[in-house]
Amino acid sequence: MRKVALVAAGVGKFGVRQATYRDLIWEAGKACFDSAPGLRPKDLEGLVVGSVMPERTAFQSHISSLAAEALGIRPSALSARTEHMCASGTVGIRYAYAFIAAGLADLVMVLGVEKLTQPTSEEAIFNMGTGVDREWEAAFGLTAPPCFALAAQRHMTRYGTTEEQLGLVGVKNHNHAAKNPNAHFNKGATLDQVLCSRMISSPLRLFMCSPITDGAAAVIVASEERARDLTDTPVWIRGTGQALDGFQLTSLPEDYAHWPALQRAAECAYRMAGITAGDVDVAEVHDCFAIAELIAYEELGFCPKGEAGTFVAAGRSDYGGDVVVNPRGGLIGCGHPLGATGVAQAAEIFVQLRDEAGARQVPEASIGLTHNNSGMGEHVVMIYGRQAS
Amino acid sequence: MTYFRAVDPFPLESADHNKLHEFYARLGQGRLSTTRCAGCGRTAWPPRAFCAECCSDRFDWVDLPSAGTVHAFTVQATGLPVGFDGPRVFAIVEVDGHRVFSIIVDGDPSQIAIGQRVSLKPLRVGDDPQGHPRWLPAFTPV
Repeated sequence: MRKVALVAAGVGKFGVRQATYRDLIWEAGKACFDSAPGLRPKDLEGLVVGSVMPERTAFQSHISSLAAEALGIRPSALSARTEHMCASGTVGIRYAYAFIAAGLADLVMVLGVEKLTQPTSEEAIFNMGTGVDREWEAAFGLTAPPCFALAAQRHMTRYGTTEEQLGLVGVKNHNHAAKNPNAHFNKGATLDQVLCSRMISSPLRLFMCSPITDGAAAVIVASEERARDLTDTPVWIRGTGQALDGFQLTSLPEDYAHWPALQRAAECAYRMAGITAGDVDVAEVHDCFAIAELIAYEELGFCPKGEAGTFVAAGRSDYGGDVVVNPRGGLIGCGHPLGATGVAQAAEIFVQLRDEAGARQVPEASIGLTHNNSGMGEHVVMIYGRQAS
Repeated sequence: MTYFRAVDPFPLESADHNKLHEFYARLGQGRLSTTRCAGCGRTAWPPRAFCAECCSDRFDWVDLPSAGTVHAFTVQATGLPVGFDGPRVFAIVEVDGHRVFSIIVDGDPSQIAIGQRVSLKPLRVGDDPQGHPRWLPAFTPV
């Protein structure tokens, strides 16, 4: 397989946006091309667009062609949309990676975009029910919070994880987001604020949850030859893995705080990259809820099973610790525009590994990781490196 | 004009629309049932028309007990989809070795406990477009 790298990345403003679906695409495309002077839309051979529910929120299908036309890309090798709920953007990056590694394309944009906010928040939440099983789950009113609440309860009962430790994930990520102008929230948060915020689904409170957010992000993925032509500092895709335990909640292992599919996805990505968990300097993990970040520490191997609560409380997932987790603010601080999230995570690793992250820079970051879950039973992991091998 | 968009959040349950219509027909009679694969004899939850083990698409209906125990639950206070009221008790109910996802109705949410016995309470939801009644399998404290 050929080596593959990111050569450009850009993120639009995340938030409750007075912007159309196409406006969001323009913003992310503009930011991405601005990061690679000399590269123009006509130079690209294609694009992949990660987007979950434009049929509901923008009454629009045929997404990849819409985005190609909006940005002036004329696909000649690849044009596709990826829908994989919360992992849609990263799954798009995997498609581009595979096409380029196989020699079927040399230069492809991956764009993630989601217009989630609606005139009423109840409708926006109603739409989120499309991500669980309609007939056996969503018909009862299920969306994501109760699922992750079950995982949090289990982690607290089995390992003694506390509400304060869950809250510290919210504090860390809100405070990181305060240094990210593209984040949904920019005010930071104290532990008191997190623990006094309103209960959503016990034990998860509002500031432990990612909000409903609009946003878009884009990266450009290149073959080794094109990457070396275009930039002195490409960011290499070193490994990737994806694994499934189950779709319906009752298909998952009975211990909802144990995510074996994430272990398998991570093992595959680490093996491919030739690294171990201890080599990761900066990680963008899928904190759709605070408990998800804690379980991710354990399944990714940053700490032993059951110790994630003390890991975050000791500051080991923050600046100065073992690995900086979610420097851009995570899904809790940035918001979670589904298809855009994985691409925005990749864009953060791109700037981190090029020393371009400004106030958020992780010193001497050399290996970066991104993780998404879609539901609790499905996971995708990417490893990026400053060096090609 | 008032902003309004409607989508039907419930399954189309009748024989006109659904291979598993027998499940809903029995549910309307107060019975909880599921499929047993006619090829390999495995009983599934939820019911299914294709066996992932032996690839058979033939199945029989078997009744399950109409009571079970609470295996896990959470109360969602706010942030529910339009049309679904809170507080809402989402639960995994163990019925005859199967984990059944459902909601617990008609109880005090603060009194629900893991291990508690609950019994089937078919919940009537909105009729389908042809006017047929529709049901979901909810549970209530014994």
